[in-house]
Amino acid sequence: MTSPMIRVALAVALATSAAAVALPARAQTEISNAQIVQGLQGLTENAPVITAQNLRQAALDHLNNFPGAPLTRPPLAIQLDKLAQITVQIQFKLNSAMILPASYGALGSIADALHNPVLQGYKFIVTGNTDTTGNRQYNMKLSQERADAIVEALTTVFNVNPARLEAVGLGEESLQDTKNPESPINRRVQIFNVGPLKR
Amino acid sequence: MKGVGIVLAAGLWALAATGAHAQTISYAQAGAQLAQSCGPDIMKFCPDVNLGGGKIHACLEAHDAQVSPQCKADYVAIRASIAKRVGAQHAIFKLCNADVARLCPGMVEGDGNLLSCLLEATKVVSPNCNQAITDAGFR
Repeated sequence: MTSPMIRVALAVALATSAAAVALPARAQTEISNAQIVQGLQGLTENAPVITAQNLRQAALDHLNNFPGAPLTRPPLAIQLDKLAQITVQIQFKLNSAMILPASYGALGSIADALHNPVLQGYKFIVTGNTDTTGNRQYNMKLSQERADAIVEALTTVFNVNPARLEAVGLGEESLQDTKNPESPINRRVQIFNVGPLKR
Repeated sequence: MKGVGIVLAAGLWALAATGAHAQTISYAQAGAQLAQSCGPDIMKFCPDVNLGGGKIHACLEAHDAQVSPQCKADYVAIRASIAKRVGAQHAIFKLCNADVARLCPGMVEGDGNLLSCLLEATKVVSPNCNQAITDAGFR
């Protein structure tokens, strides 16, 4: 989970350039908001019932049951790909759960989507994922803290109902690119639609 | 900049009264503006502080004397604009109730059905309801 400084610097540079020209930045965020709504809309057929608790347990079991090298580990038992979902890149401070200001806008886009009437009646799980560099247990802990930080920001600053969001750190147990476990593409935040909010 | 000075003197980190007239902006825009105006101050004075739970707010407040005037002024405006949007999102049901009854009879609420109906009927929706939809950012 040690994101190189270049990545952070790049994110800050992008934010600065976007900020300098207000209108294109605005157009961009509106498009991504619509894309988020699209991605998180509805439940696919045969979507498994997933709770934050059983997802967390599955990640822990995966960590304990498959101690071998990343390429020898089977995929996580829970089939997350059957859920409506989006992947977002949120920039964190190195080895910290602090969300960099450069990603406040991206958080806002997620919040806009969650406030849209189309998604208003649904619950979501926010997962944090790392690549396989660094200590595996530490990756698990840090990814949980980062997912928690995102949920906290969404529910306090951006007014999303806390009953609609749960955070799960998956560490390095659910890789995006299983053939390249150290690839930075594996460092990501995913949001899954886990079904209707019970009233 | 004189206006900013007055706001500063009046109690910086509270919602300014002038903010009530602010245009609503999306959360994405609010986040991007906060990053633009206050990002450098946050990285300097609050390098280990997270956005949620009022922690950035408290940190900026604690460094009141050092935080840039631009950040202070924009922060107040951004908060006011978010508050207005939240208000519009809450008020929309009440303001559009009659329009829903008139234009979307028998439609079941959920999955954005009522909003889709109102958006399709924009030309004949009441001005108050149309304004509420715009202010809520649902257009």
